[in-house]
Amino acid sequence: MINDFNYLKPGSVKEAFEMYAEHDDCKVICGGQSLLIVMRQGMVAPEYLLDIKGLDELRYIKYDEKDGLRIGATTTHREIEKSPIIQEKYPVLSLMETKLASIQTRNWGTIGGNLAHADPAGDPAPVLIALNANIKVGGKNGERTMPLEDFFKDYFETALEKGELVLEVHVPVPPAKTSVAYQKFNLLDSDMGIVAVAASITLNGDDTCKDARIVLGNAAPIPKRVKNAEELLKGKKFDEKLFEEVGRISYEESEPVADIHASEEHRRHLLSVLTKRMIKKAWEQARAVA
Amino acid sequence: MSTEIKELKYSTFKTNIKYSVINTKVHNVDGIAKVTGRAQYTFDIKLPGMLYGKILRSPHPHARIINIDTTRAMELPGVKAVVTGKDTLGIKQGIWRRYEELCDEQILPLEKVRYIGEPVAAVAAVTEEIAEQALDLIDVEYEVLPAVFEPLDAIKKDAPVIHEGVERNVNVTRHIEWGDVDEAFAEAEKNGGYIREDWFRCSGQHHMCMETRAAVSSYTPEGKLTVWASTQSAYYTQALIAGVLGMREGDVRVIATYVGGGFGGKFELDAAMFCSAVLSKKLCKPVKIVFTREEDMIASKRRTPMYYYVRTAMSRDGQLLARESRMFSNGGAYTGMGATALYLSGFFHSFPYKWKAYRYDGYRVYTNTMPSTSMRGFGAPQAMFCSEQQIEWMCADLGLDPYEVRRKNAHTECYEVPGQAFIQSCGMTECIDKIEQWAKSKGDLGPNRAIGISSCGFMSGGIFNWFDSPYSFSSAVVTINIDGTVELHVGCQDIGQGSNTTMAIIAAETLGVKVEDIKVHSGDTDHCPADLGAWGSRQTLMAGNAVKMACEDAKRQLLEFAYAEMGLNIVYDLDIKDRWVHVIARPERGMKYEDLVRKAIRAKDGQRIVGRGYYTPHRKGMISPAYSYMMQAVDAEIDPETGKIKVHEIMTAHDCGQPINPLGLVGQLEGAASMALGYAYLEDLPMDEGKLLNPNLVDYKVIRAPEMPKTGMIDIETYEAEGPYGAKEAGEGLTNPTAAALGNAIFHALGIQMKELPLTPERILRALREKKEKEANK
Ligand SMILES: Cc1cc2nc3c(=O)[nH]c(=O)nc-3n(C[C@H](O)[C@H](O)[C@H](O)COP(=O)(O)OP(=O)(O)OC[C@H]3O[C@@H](n4cnc5c(N)ncnc54)[C@H](O)[C@@H]3O)c2cc1C
Repeated sequence: MINDFNYLKPGSVKEAFEMYAEHDDCKVICGGQSLLIVMRQGMVAPEYLLDIKGLDELRYIKYDEKDGLRIGATTTHREIEKSPIIQEKYPVLSLMETKLASIQTRNWGTIGGNLAHADPAGDPAPVLIALNANIKVGGKNGERTMPLEDFFKDYFETALEKGELVLEVHVPVPPAKTSVAYQKFNLLDSDMGIVAVAASITLNGDDTCKDARIVLGNAAPIPKRVKNAEELLKGKKFDEKLFEEVGRISYEESEPVADIHASEEHRRHLLSVLTKRMIKKAWEQARAVA
Repeated sequence: MSTEIKELKYSTFKTNIKYSVINTKVHNVDGIAKVTGRAQYTFDIKLPGMLYGKILRSPHPHARIINIDTTRAMELPGVKAVVTGKDTLGIKQGIWRRYEELCDEQILPLEKVRYIGEPVAAVAAVTEEIAEQALDLIDVEYEVLPAVFEPLDAIKKDAPVIHEGVERNVNVTRHIEWGDVDEAFAEAEKNGGYIREDWFRCSGQHHMCMETRAAVSSYTPEGKLTVWASTQSAYYTQALIAGVLGMREGDVRVIATYVGGGFGGKFELDAAMFCSAVLSKKLCKPVKIVFTREEDMIASKRRTPMYYYVRTAMSRDGQLLARESRMFSNGGAYTGMGATALYLSGFFHSFPYKWKAYRYDGYRVYTNTMPSTSMRGFGAPQAMFCSEQQIEWMCADLGLDPYEVRRKNAHTECYEVPGQAFIQSCGMTECIDKIEQWAKSKGDLGPNRAIGISSCGFMSGGIFNWFDSPYSFSSAVVTINIDGTVELHVGCQDIGQGSNTTMAIIAAETLGVKVEDIKVHSGDTDHCPADLGAWGSRQTLMAGNAVKMACEDAKRQLLEFAYAEMGLNIVYDLDIKDRWVHVIARPERGMKYEDLVRKAIRAKDGQRIVGRGYYTPHRKGMISPAYSYMMQAVDAEIDPETGKIKVHEIMTAHDCGQPINPLGLVGQLEGAASMALGYAYLEDLPMDEGKLLNPNLVDYKVIRAPEMPKTGMIDIETYEAEGPYGAKEAGEGLTNPTAAALGNAIFHALGIQMKELPLTPERILRALREKKEKEANK
């Protein structure tokens, strides 16, 4: 059962910073879609809950042709999924959201909460890392920005310091001829992924690979880049044999943990298959973009 | 049975009567109450002064209880009572009441716990939170005993003893045999027939009712007890509670107006009912216990996991010659309904074919796991998974057409399953024809995709009375009010499957009125006649017959008066349809039903018209008065790299006799498909040393809307002489074919043979690897 707690409702981000700094045993709640589950299981039992769901200052989707995309922390999954500008400029983000939980959960859950929760099976992180995103965090003592890749530290652990909130996700404008593909493997549509792979491919004018970013989801305690594989792709032509080879690197470099849903071996196998497929898909898409 | 009977053609028998209500699309009579939230489930019951109960459960799979100290819990403010086995009469209870040795469960055991989650104490407190806190303050001293979890281990000589005096932990055995099996196999071998043997493993499954187990018990100083319960049988619950509390049945009232699902898991006495009743009796206050989802999953009951050995002989031209099967089921800690599943699995394992020689030996073995019991299909989905796949493989091995082989061996009407059962109506052959046409019309499906089929049949009302009910299996009382409205009191239990609607349809058809004229009263032992309840696919046939008889009784009283009133020649027949009482030969001649009722009641010195009906099967063998038949086709595609299954479509040709309510039928078809598909490729109850590893809906996967394939039904019309208006079972049997049909689809898509449930991606990939290795070695 959920423990009794004191409820704090800030009216502004500034007030939220102050309240968060003032109260010691305090947890932030936004959409509650992850927090309430662990509270119900008794794994988290804070004295104070700081409810930031109502902070509309942090609820926005902004796009600028030079600066790229900025999404405020309290923006819901559903808002990201349905945003016309995201559908146009970053279709992979919107598609990823369509398979993140149910509509009910997407209506409540927020991007800030999802990233702060740092579940290695979370969907947005691999996609955003493939898109080279940054994250802005801040508290009473100021703000700082870091590559999203550096934000994750361990299972359910992030670079957030005491008193800090996630404020914004920033996605730069992708280079020309770039496309990102993402897929998770699960048995139920929109369920948490058993494993997932995001791949970003940037092509040269001659259709050789200029740059690649491959991120594995739920393959390690944090979203995992497969840099050896990325290097291998650079300068190469479209080649399905090569993709198999890259898949094998994912297989070897991943460190998934077995549970009742899949053995370690099966997870590695799935990662290799999905890596191969996502590279191929991103490559084919990249050919089509300007 | 004699050969002359076989000349009779039951299915060609038609009443030639046009129905005005039957087979029309009738919405659930309690649908509006449910969707508007007015329906009160046990979960919703709140009584003045009501306390909340919680149950302390064993953390050990097998342990002796040395001592339970409740002192600290009792000191917690707000706690009103803590009870243990010592506060009960210590009666070992069970639903197989005719067999003392099978009544083996003390819900708060005195000596031993036998599975993780078994109740050891219960608390009543002023809030749920306090009751839960109190559980931590109960000190239980256990002596941990060696435990065993798998039937094939538990049956070994030196395995731990789970129930004193039960040798090798064998709880029940069942032997079914006809023909000379050994000779038939010898003959097959001599004649160059094909003999194949396989081992299969079928998993368990949780019932996953929307409403978890729940009860509110209210004992009053007059010595009367009322229990609101989530049950499939108000009468069984009444009788079982009275038994364990040492009360008279009539002093216990069970109310189960709305029940949020049962699926076979809710007709035994459960810990919510028992503990709330014991606490309430001690305190003379109402006590409510609602299981959490986790409790429901670790400590209720489950579909029986089974190991099957199947050996079958087939002639080179596809005649089924003989079968010999052995089955070992994981019984868990107690008997429950598992003994029935043991028998039915073996019986339906022979379906729907005419075996000349057949032998089945089933062993239900106790283990230190949550007990297994009945669940929709009652052992048949497991049996079909093994049988229908093996037959498919044998056809492929011999290069035979699987439709033709099935047709050749299929049950037909008026067939006697030797010494076991007599089949009257049977549309099996037509089911096969229709599915063959449908499958062939689909053409080439492309790579890694195929259609798999499975045929099966099911009982239409179990003729089992191990409970030893002295009452008729079903009863009904119909009362007609002065304005023509009808009160229908039935004992049959609506658990969401729509039996109240079915009964209203049968009553409206019989009386010649409209469905909205009928008010159905069910789920209350004080006001409704006894009935065995909602299990064994029995309600449409058995309760339906009782309702029909009651309504015919009432109608006869009305028509007697109409005869006199209209001064008719006795050769004329009268009937009522759509509230119009009329001469059948001259339908325009008649009177309004309402007018007739008013007059008839006046003529009866002001007494309302009351009709009574009842039904108990007689001379129908020991299994069922009738059998439904079906063939199902599953169109599935498998990703050979990931092992993921996508089911595109499920089509079922179905013989349920005369459909009563097409809407209800489709609901059953879709519900069964989702449950059976879940069983086929998703749902499992993995355990580690008896501890369930997925006791929540995050880790236990059930089919949800996006996975639900398109479903369709081809209705095969037959007329079942024993059913009301020719109706048979529809709903439970539909769970039987799916796992087998999906297995066969995988076989045809990828050429692999799946012998273990559920059909997970890892198992599929493993089978593919093994196939490749085999081919490489050739
Ligand atoms: C049924 C179900 C299915 C799901 N399926 C998926 C899925 O398929 N894929 C997927 O990725 N996720 C899934 N989730 C997880 C969920 O959708 C996200 O984790 C959720 O969006 C978190 O957002 P929230 O606003 O609800 O966070 P909350 O639950 O309110 O908070 C989560 C954590 O983040 C912290 N937090 C929240 N906001 C901030 C902030 N701005 N700054 C600092 N810390 C913060 C909280 O303190 C808490 O620790 C599922 C959840 C449910 C209930």
